[in-house]
Amino acid sequence: MSKRIAVLVFPGTNSEEETLRLLRDCGGDAHLVHWSRASLLPKFDAYVLPGGFAYEDRIRAGAIAAHDEMMDYVIEGAREGKLVLGVCNGAQILLEAGLVPGTGEVRRPTAAFTRNGPVPHFICTHVWVKLAIDPARSPITAGLHRNELIPAWAAHGEGRLAADETHLRELDQNGHVAFVYAHPDGHVDASATPNQSALNAAALVNKEGNVLAIMPHPERDGWTFNHPDRRGRHGILEPSGGAVFFRSFVAGVHAR
Amino acid sequence: MLRPRPVRLLAELDTSGVALRSDELARIERTLGRAPSVVELHAFDAQWSEHCSYKSSRHHLKNLPTTGPRVVLGPAEDSGILHLGEHEGERYGIVIAHESHNHPSQVVPFEGAATGIGGIVRDVVCMGAEVIAVADPLRFGLVDDAQSHQRYVAQTAVDGISAYGNAIGVPNIAGDVYFDERFDDNCLVNVVAMGVVKESEIIHSYAPQGAAGWDIILVGKATDPSGFGGASFSSLTLDAADEESNKGAVQVPDPFLKNVLMRASYAVFGYLRQHNITAGFKDLGAGGIMGCSAEITSAGGYGADIDLDKVNVAIDSLKPEVIAIGETQERLIWVVPPAVTPQILRIYNDDFTLPQIAFNARAVVIGTVTQEKRYVLHYRGETVMNVDIDFLTGSIRDELPYEEIDVAREIVDEAPLVTGVQMDELLERVLSHRDVASREPLYRRYDSVVRGATVLPRGAGDAGVLAPVFGAPLGVALSVAGNPRYGRLNARAAGEHAVYEAVRKSVAVGARPIGLTDCLNFGNPRNPAHLGQFVASIEGLARAAGAFGTPFVSGNVSLYNESAGGNAVPASPIIACVGALTDVSTVVSTSLKQAGSVLYFIGTPQSALGGSVVIDVLGRHDPRLPAIDYDTVVPQHDMLLAAASANVLRAMHSIGNGGLLVALCEMAFPTLRRGIKPIGVQVDDPWQWTHGSVGDIEAFFGESGGFIVEVAAEDVEAFEGIADDIEGVHEIGVTIDQAVLAVDDEAFDLHRLRDMWMKPLREVYP
Repeated sequence: MSKRIAVLVFPGTNSEEETLRLLRDCGGDAHLVHWSRASLLPKFDAYVLPGGFAYEDRIRAGAIAAHDEMMDYVIEGAREGKLVLGVCNGAQILLEAGLVPGTGEVRRPTAAFTRNGPVPHFICTHVWVKLAIDPARSPITAGLHRNELIPAWAAHGEGRLAADETHLRELDQNGHVAFVYAHPDGHVDASATPNQSALNAAALVNKEGNVLAIMPHPERDGWTFNHPDRRGRHGILEPSGGAVFFRSFVAGVHAR
Repeated sequence: MLRPRPVRLLAELDTSGVALRSDELARIERTLGRAPSVVELHAFDAQWSEHCSYKSSRHHLKNLPTTGPRVVLGPAEDSGILHLGEHEGERYGIVIAHESHNHPSQVVPFEGAATGIGGIVRDVVCMGAEVIAVADPLRFGLVDDAQSHQRYVAQTAVDGISAYGNAIGVPNIAGDVYFDERFDDNCLVNVVAMGVVKESEIIHSYAPQGAAGWDIILVGKATDPSGFGGASFSSLTLDAADEESNKGAVQVPDPFLKNVLMRASYAVFGYLRQHNITAGFKDLGAGGIMGCSAEITSAGGYGADIDLDKVNVAIDSLKPEVIAIGETQERLIWVVPPAVTPQILRIYNDDFTLPQIAFNARAVVIGTVTQEKRYVLHYRGETVMNVDIDFLTGSIRDELPYEEIDVAREIVDEAPLVTGVQMDELLERVLSHRDVASREPLYRRYDSVVRGATVLPRGAGDAGVLAPVFGAPLGVALSVAGNPRYGRLNARAAGEHAVYEAVRKSVAVGARPIGLTDCLNFGNPRNPAHLGQFVASIEGLARAAGAFGTPFVSGNVSLYNESAGGNAVPASPIIACVGALTDVSTVVSTSLKQAGSVLYFIGTPQSALGGSVVIDVLGRHDPRLPAIDYDTVVPQHDMLLAAASANVLRAMHSIGNGGLLVALCEMAFPTLRRGIKPIGVQVDDPWQWTHGSVGDIEAFFGESGGFIVEVAAEDVEAFEGIADDIEGVHEIGVTIDQAVLAVDDEAFDLHRLRDMWMKPLREVYP
C-alpha cells in the first residue's frame, strides 16, 4: 500500500498548497490535514509541516504551535520512526517541540531559530544550501549526493539558529547540522548566510535522522518555471531545482 | 416646512466630525420628510462621501476606455476581471483591484498600510478568486532626516505591508517608491491585489436573481469601535491638530485571522461550486456593515432588513451607528439561500474554527434580503434606520468647477545640454539619486515567492511574473508606474506616461499588456486648480490606454491628499498593468546572461529632459516632457513581444528613471555575485545611434522610454529578421566578461557603481 504523507495546516500556515503539490509531483501520496481534523493524523505514514506564521508566531515562531494537538500525533509518530519534515515555520515548530535536535525533552527546546541578524527584519532572498552530512545519515537526505547544493528561498524573520556554546559544539560535532548556507559555487562562509545563523546552519536533523527542520524553502524553487534563467526552457512545468530535496524525502518515506 | 432638527441630531452634527455638507443634509431631510436618525446621519455621511460615491469624480472617469475583447468584468464591482487565457477548455480570468490607503498611512503608518493590503485582498477574494499577488506603489516625503516623521512613515508603512502580506501568504511581486517633499504631509500608499478565477466560477458582489428572503451572513472579525468614520475621514484634508482624533478612524489589521478567513472562504467556494449554488459575496470596506449590505442588495434590485443585535461584537454597549457603520477590518458579507446557511456557518465556525482564531470572530446570520427596496436596521427592538435603499446608495453627483491646466509654454533652447560635470561623476550622482537607487533593501522585506508560483519575483524583471494556474503554462505579469516628477510638471502628460511606463514594463518581461487599473491621487477637488489636474490626468490616461488597447477594469480615486496648509501632492495618477503570457517559458528577465551578446536600444532619443533624474541632479530646469509617438512605439512593442516568443531575447529592460546607462547598469549588477561570472557592458559612442540628433547627456540620461535587449550572437540574424522594418532599433554595444561599464573609451568599475546604487535605501531600510 502506498505510504501517505500528511501536510499539516495550523491556523496561520501559508505554504501548504505548494508544498502539497510539489510532494505530489515528486511521487508522494500527500494530503492536507487541517487543525480541526488532528485526529486523522495517526493514519498517515509521514508528516510535513509547511511554512507560514502558525498562531501568529506569538512569543517566538513555532512556540504556540508546538503545543497544538496536532503535535501530539507528530511527536508520537516521530518516536515510532515516521519521517517528519518541517520547512521554515514548520522547522521552527519542530525545534520548539524539541524534536530537533531531539537531544532534550519533548517541548523543552534546546536550540531555536530566533530573530534574524544583523537587523531583526523579515528577509526574502534566494539562497543555496549545501548538504553538510553524509547523505545516508538521514533517510530524508539519502537520495542526495554528498555536498549536494540545493536552491531555495529564505523568507523568514526568525531563522538565526541560536543555542549556548556547548550545545552548538555538540550540534556541530554530532552531525545535527544537515544543511549550511553556501554561495552558488558551493563555498561556505558567513557572507552566504542571510541571517547570521550559528554554524551557518540552514537545517538541523535529529540523532535518529528521521526528523529534519529546514529554514529556507526548496519548494518555492521547485519547478522549472520558478527559475527560468537557470536551466533550459524544456519542461517549464516539470519539478526541478529544489524538487530534488522533496524527491529524496518521498523516496525515504516509501523506503520505510 | 420641516420641523426643527432634534437636539440629539444637532449634538451629533456638532461633535462627531460628520463631513456631510448642509445642502446634502437638507436634501436628505426633504426626501425622508423628516430629520434623519443619528444612525441614518452617519449612514448618509459614509455613503455620500467621495470615498464611497465618487460624487465629484465619476462623471470624469467615464472618459476612460473600459471595454475590449479581454474584459470579462469592467469597473462595476469590487474588482475588474481580464481574460488571461485558456487551458484544457477552461477559461481563466485575472481579477484585479487597486486602491489607496493614504490618509491612514500618514497618521498610523503600520496599521494604515497593513489594512490597505487587507482591504484590497478582500476585494479580490469576494469575486470568488484565489488571491495570487499584491503590489505596492508608494510615495513618501523626503527621508534624509533620520528623526523625521517622513522617515518614520516610510519605514513603518513598509513594515505594515510586509507584516500583513507575508502572513496571509500572498506574494508581493511588483511595486515602486518615490521620495519627494511634496509627499511630506501626505504619503501615498497605493495597493494592488490580483487573483485568478475560472471565468465560469466568478462570484458577484450583488444579490443574485430570486434572492428575496435569502440570508445575509456576516463573516469575520467581531465588530469593534475601530475605523468609525473612516470613509468620511479619507474624504477630508489632513490637519495635524486633529491627528489624535484621526487615529480612531484607522482600522486595526489582523492578518492572522485573515489568513484563516481566506482559506475558509476558498473552502466555501468549493462547496458552492460542488453543489452548483449561486450566491453573492462582498467585502466590507467603507461604510461597514451598512455600506456593504446596502450595496450588495441594492445592486441586485432588492432591499435589506438587518438586526444589529445579531452582529458579533467585541465589546458590549457599542452604539448602533458604530456597529452599523464602523469599519472594523477582516469582514465580508454573503447573500445565500437559507438552505445553504448551516453548511457555510459550519465551514467558518467549525472547520476553520473562527471563534478560536480571534475573539468572537465567526460567521453569523444578521438579516434578510427583502423584495421591498428599503434599507432597514433594527437595534434593541427599535427601528433605527428605514430609508429608500436606492436613495442611500444611488449616485449623487457634484459638478465642481475646474480649471483647464495651463502647461507653461516657455521658450526652450533646443541645443544639447552642456554641463561642466564629468561623465563618471554624473553617472554616480544619477545612480545614487533617491528615485534610481536600488529598491532591494525595501522589497526584500516582502515575501515575493510564497505560493510557489513565482516566475519573476521583485527585482528580477520590470514586472513581476507568476504561473497562476497550476499545471498550465499560462503566465501573468503585473507592473506599476506613476512618476511624480512628471506630475509636478504636467498632469496630462503624467497620466499618459504612467500608462506608457506600466505597459512598457509588461512588454519588458515578454508579456502582452491586456488591461489596466488606476488609482488617482490628487488634492482637494474643491480647489479648481487641483480638480483641473485630475481632469487633465484622465485625458492623458484615456489617450494612452486607447493607443495601447489596454482598457481600465478597476480603479480608485483618492482626493483630498492635501494638508490643512493647502500643500497638495503632485498630480499622481498611478497605474497597474496586467500582462499575459501564453507560454511562460518565453518570459524575459532583466539580468544579462552571457558575454559576447549584442545589445540593442529600441527607442528614439529625444532632447526633452523635463522630469528626468539628470535634470534634478544638475539642478537645472526643463519644462518639456518626452513626447510619446504611438505610431512608432506600438509596433516596437509588438516586435519585442514577437522576439520574446521566438526566444531570441536573453535579457530585456525598459528604460526609465535615470535613462539608458542606468538601465545597462541594472542589467549587469545582478551578475556581480560570488560564485557566478560577472558580465559587463561595452557601449559605443552614442553618435553611432543618435547621429547627432541629441547630445551625449540626452542619449545617456534622457528618459524618453524605450528598451535595452540582449541578443546572443547566434540569434542576431533571427532578431534582426523580426526587427526588420521597425523604426528605432539601434545596435549600441556588446556584453563583455569583465565587471566594467565601458563607454566609448572610458571604463567604470561596476562593483563601485553598484555600491553607490545600493547605499541610499540601505540607510532607510537597513
